[in-house]
Amino acid sequence: MRSARIAGVFLVVIGAAVGFEASTFEVSFMADPIGPKALPNVVAAMLLMAGFILMLRPKTNVVWPNLRVRAKLVGAVMALLFYPLALHVLGFVISTMLVVTGLSHLYGAPLRRGLAAAAILSVVLWLFFVQMLALPLPIGSVWLR
Amino acid sequence: MAALSPLLEGLAIAVAPLNIGLVLSGVIVGTVVGMLPGIGPINAIAILIPVTFATGIPPESALILLVGIYYGSQYGNSISTILLNVPGTASAVVTALDGYALTRAGRGGPALAMSAIASFVGGMCSIIALVFFAPLMSNWAIRFGPAEYFALMVFAFSALSSFSGGSLVRGLAATGLGLWLATVGLDPQSAIPRYTFGRIELLDGMDFVVVTIGLFAVSEVLYLLEESEGGQSVSASFGRVMITFRELADSSWTLIRASSLGFLVGVLPGAGGTIASFLAYSTEERLAGSTGKFGSGDLRGVASPEAANNASVSGAMIPLLTLGVPGSGTTAVLLGALLAFGITPGPLLIEEQPDIFWGLAASMFVGNAFLLLLNLPLVGVFVRVLRLPRWFLIPGVAAIAFVAVYAVNRSAFDLVLMTLFGVVGYLMRKLEFPLAPVVLGLVLGPLMERNLRRAMALSGGEWAVLFDSPVAITLWCLALASLAAPVVLNRWSKHNSPDESVVPTGSSDGNAA
Repeated sequence: MRSARIAGVFLVVIGAAVGFEASTFEVSFMADPIGPKALPNVVAAMLLMAGFILMLRPKTNVVWPNLRVRAKLVGAVMALLFYPLALHVLGFVISTMLVVTGLSHLYGAPLRRGLAAAAILSVVLWLFFVQMLALPLPIGSVWLR
Repeated sequence: MAALSPLLEGLAIAVAPLNIGLVLSGVIVGTVVGMLPGIGPINAIAILIPVTFATGIPPESALILLVGIYYGSQYGNSISTILLNVPGTASAVVTALDGYALTRAGRGGPALAMSAIASFVGGMCSIIALVFFAPLMSNWAIRFGPAEYFALMVFAFSALSSFSGGSLVRGLAATGLGLWLATVGLDPQSAIPRYTFGRIELLDGMDFVVVTIGLFAVSEVLYLLEESEGGQSVSASFGRVMITFRELADSSWTLIRASSLGFLVGVLPGAGGTIASFLAYSTEERLAGSTGKFGSGDLRGVASPEAANNASVSGAMIPLLTLGVPGSGTTAVLLGALLAFGITPGPLLIEEQPDIFWGLAASMFVGNAFLLLLNLPLVGVFVRVLRLPRWFLIPGVAAIAFVAVYAVNRSAFDLVLMTLFGVVGYLMRKLEFPLAPVVLGLVLGPLMERNLRRAMALSGGEWAVLFDSPVAITLWCLALASLAAPVVLNRWSKHNSPDESVVPTGSSDGNAA
């Protein structure tokens, strides 16, 4: 109940923000009769309507995970956010290995087996994408110095 | 025979060594991702778009690969359904009823064989229908103006909003979010920036590959943490993957009916494989009456949904290729792929770029033949993939997703966006919002806006132009009807049957159907 209501509030806030921002789209020369505001205004109306209905009739069967899983979720998001930070510095192979090891650990892998699997996977992906498909992936600025 | 000659030319394209290799890879990847619960075709297609783009293969080859994943997944989804009672994608949910019952009765082998044959029949019949109806549809749609296109897109959005999740309100909210994302970036007509939050990375707009991978693949990584315990134990013995001629003959009418139904449902926007399989199953159950053992292990209970969900794939290709208007999450991603490759699907596609259409259609025949071979004698190999531990599979998918997202613009910013959409996707799934409308809104939004503004420019700002032609009025009525449908159907089903065990709610995976 409460979750759906909060989702409704979010939608209303986003809808209002989208509509407000749209009102600032001023065009000096209109290439077409309705301009760049029309679709954003429709979007704002849809989000506001859906949000209000959800706030008034918050039907949901959501079951949020327990504390242990919540901690895992935070860990996974941190690992995912760490990746773009590390990628250009440590390079694709090392960053991928670290993040995949972390994720596999959250999924219950023993640390050593997870690390071994992650190392093999990162190297295989590097060989496949960089060597075979010639898709450039960062080597890492640390190794180039 | 004259009608067949373009198809033969298409066959020449489809059997070129590169394309044979790609269709085979596509159907294998499709079978695997269809089979693995949680990893659907939409993830695999979105991930492979930047990769295929980077390799520089011609567009028809890329399309052959990506569509191969789509129909391949409809074969694969029944494997885990039948053996583990865990549907690989939502369109195989009904297959579980009789498929798993057969496995428990020691007849998993025949169930797998029936599912492969039904998938093949559904696939083949519907490609024939595709080859026949797509040119007709093109000829009809050639007269569509911007007003008709706008109405058609509104119909696509309203149908997907109503049918993709349990609740219409959530579907509309998801569509709204997708359309909002579509407006991000420089407005192509007035060149003013919209919703870029001051980031230059967003001036070009939100890349649909980044958003799709975030919403589907990354949210799956988060979603599955709740059930992160080990791999699945597949019951080792499912007997020989064979059915008798008698069993096949008993199901022949079921196969034909389910294939036709699946194709028709596939053409409609919003419906797709999940609803097709559900309708086919319930139709056959009703027709069989007391002679059937539906629900407790009837082979026709496997044949009907599998034929229908495979047939729906070719059905869904018709609006995608001949109108350029997809009706589901997966076909929306395919539209995004086509546009990325510089192909604008629409009524002129078949005439102006026959290689694309006929090459694809011919490759689908080839791919279905491969799939039958892969799924009958080689099903045991695929079952091994199901035994891989989840701790390896899911982080592995995440790593491949990283490569794909990075390949789009070679920017770390996209990886941050991907994670952001992963969290949004996770919350939306938890709160039972469908994800497919977001992707459809994002891909179709710019086209819808362009057609609306073009229609208004042509009429000089007169809104009545949107309701001017009979086609447009019909499409508006269909849009309204699709919005009313869930409410009416709900009343009707509550009135008629107290048993609500099988309802086609496309849950998180339904988006992939």
